Amino acid sequence: MRAGRLVVVGLAFALSACATTEAPRTVAPEAPRVVTPPQPAGPPIRQTLAAPHLARAAELERDGFLRRALDEWKIARTIDPDSAAAREGQAKLTARIEGLVAERVTEARAALARASVAEARRRLLAALALDPGNRSIVAMLQNEAREGEFLIHTVRAGDTLAALAERYYGDRSRLEVIWETNQLPPNPRLVVGTTLKIPEIPGLPFARPRPVAPGPPAPGPTVVAPSRPDSAREEAPPEVNPLIAEAREALERNDYPVALGDLDKLLAGDPANREGLTLKKLALYRHGKNLFDQKNYDASYKTLTTLARLQSDYEDVGKLIPQTRGRAVEQHYQSGIRLYREEKLPQAIAEWKVVLDLDPDHANAKKNIDQAERLLKGLEQRKKK
Amino acid sequence: MSARLLLVVLATLVTAACATAPTAPPPVAAPPTPAPVARVAPPPPEPVPAIFKSDDFIVVTAKAGDTAESLATQHLGAAAKSWMIEDYMGARAFTAGQRVIIPLKPWNPTGVEANGYQLVPILCYHNLGPQAKGRLLLGASQFEQQMRYLKAEGYRVISLGEFIEWMEGKRQLPKRSVVITFDDGYRAFREFASPLLKELGFTATLFVYTDYIGAGRNALAWDDLKTLAAEGFDVQAHSKTHGDLRRAKDETEAQHAQRLQVELAEPLKLFQRHLGRSIDRLAYPYGSADDDVVAKAKTVGYVAAFTVRRQGSPAFVQPLRVNRSQIYSEMSLEDFAKNLNVYHQEDLR
Repeated sequence: MRAGRLVVVGLAFALSACATTEAPRTVAPEAPRVVTPPQPAGPPIRQTLAAPHLARAAELERDGFLRRALDEWKIARTIDPDSAAAREGQAKLTARIEGLVAERVTEARAALARASVAEARRRLLAALALDPGNRSIVAMLQNEAREGEFLIHTVRAGDTLAALAERYYGDRSRLEVIWETNQLPPNPRLVVGTTLKIPEIPGLPFARPRPVAPGPPAPGPTVVAPSRPDSAREEAPPEVNPLIAEAREALERNDYPVALGDLDKLLAGDPANREGLTLKKLALYRHGKNLFDQKNYDASYKTLTTLARLQSDYEDVGKLIPQTRGRAVEQHYQSGIRLYREEKLPQAIAEWKVVLDLDPDHANAKKNIDQAERLLKGLEQRKKK
Repeated sequence: MSARLLLVVLATLVTAACATAPTAPPPVAAPPTPAPVARVAPPPPEPVPAIFKSDDFIVVTAKAGDTAESLATQHLGAAAKSWMIEDYMGARAFTAGQRVIIPLKPWNPTGVEANGYQLVPILCYHNLGPQAKGRLLLGASQFEQQMRYLKAEGYRVISLGEFIEWMEGKRQLPKRSVVITFDDGYRAFREFASPLLKELGFTATLFVYTDYIGAGRNALAWDDLKTLAAEGFDVQAHSKTHGDLRRAKDETEAQHAQRLQVELAEPLKLFQRHLGRSIDRLAYPYGSADDDVVAKAKTVGYVAAFTVRRQGSPAFVQPLRVNRSQIYSEMSLEDFAKNLNVYHQEDLR
């Protein structure tokens, strides 16, 4: 028995081998058939080779894998273009698929009409599985039947579909949508702790559940944490603006000029960026104080006044500015005196002028400038002589 | 034992008969034909593989050592099409005498079948560095481990363009297709990602926001982007300022519309000016978009736009709300692999 089958297979291979000699690559399905050499009695070889595919096609069709069944009919016809069984099988199945696709699309439209998007999508997907290249079905899935948002509800004691429909949609009659979405049995008994998908219904207000006061987790095995299916909404992404991230890093290592540089770049493109503005003020404040500690009163004063222009009541900037200005004035005044003593009169005058810029009423600075200028004039006149 | 002997003898006889047929040209690439008269069975030669061909399929009998690659080279004209055979047959290598079905055209353009549908994971990376830092800066070795894992597990890294053509119904994709994307435009991409990706034969898309280009110390400059584009990397938009595109609470509708126009249209101009080509793909800053943002992106001319919803995308995903999965530095290789689901099981009969 086994030997007999092997012989047939062996023959098949050998004969098909010679088919290649006459039927190279370019043979179209309807091309002239290979002239088969005389062969021993038995089924024609193409028929034999096609047979498993015919059987497989019928089997797949029976199991509902229609698209794959259609492929098998086609493969059988590839091997044996004259097979009436394959031709008929393919034609019948093609017609059946067309009918089913139309039916599924009609069902999907009906589901959409009653606002059951999840159900509509299932029907459309079933249609697409039958006809995977169908662009109009794809378009429906992307548009009128596109996936909306949904919530996960964990069933509590006393929950009914009608109550849930009332709670989430304000309309008890919408219970059918929850029923269909979750593919529940008729008259389902909701089990405490299980989860239900509550889909958004386009055009209806979608009531979010009132936030429940956080308490200790309910004891006992009946409460199951809601499982997050793939399609549940992602939590807020942690992505941050890279310039902000860089600025933060720079702030952490007290590198204020770099932080401020990053923030100015950010704000140049997006002047209203709140996070950027907040960080900029913080950077200016810390930078100003730090400069003060380093006795760089000029830069500190400049930095803090920049901050005050953004927000005049930022922390204690109102107190810091007069302090740092006072120190700056003092520094420039003393510097002027030192230069004066070193007989560097123009430089001394420049220092005191800075003092007057910072404090226009600084009497000593005015007096010193006058004196230095007079002295300078005298010196110049003496030189001319 | 005797059955096999019988088979060999029969095969030899018939093959011999056919080889001597007067009009038959010599078989192409066939193993040496056995001597015309064979009494004693010679070492068993493989029978010449049969080829049947229709518009949809080629059916061949594999020779010893045939692989999806060798058959694709021979019958589909390119080894790169080996995935078609591999996916259809569910195997990469074949034994002598095995019948191999070679599909000649896309047999399932959307990847939707009776028991579920194909998903394409799109991975979203940000920054890389010598060491991980924060969630979004991965250590180079961790990234390398993930890329080598993709290679070893037979994932096929496809370009974003190929993914979009799939969404548009213009091509079928290999079953284990994955897309790699990088957001923001960090300089580290050139140092840590592009050499490795090239070595593995992978490609990637960079979504850069134009205010950052050449700005931060860590940012790619226009020249870098030009080089990367010339190397085959896809450079696309990530807005102008990386601000959340949704309308802010204190923003009027008119202000929002104006801001959206700048955020979405400005990159188009800048890419044209600096790279000399147009772009049509957008990654939403923070992955956030609502209906207004989506509509505006479409009007401005984007054909595909990307969120950060953590799941793969089917062919029928909304083109302006395609999912991506962010890869974080704290993920183990196992966690990483959870983002590579390429099939959604669902009975659709």
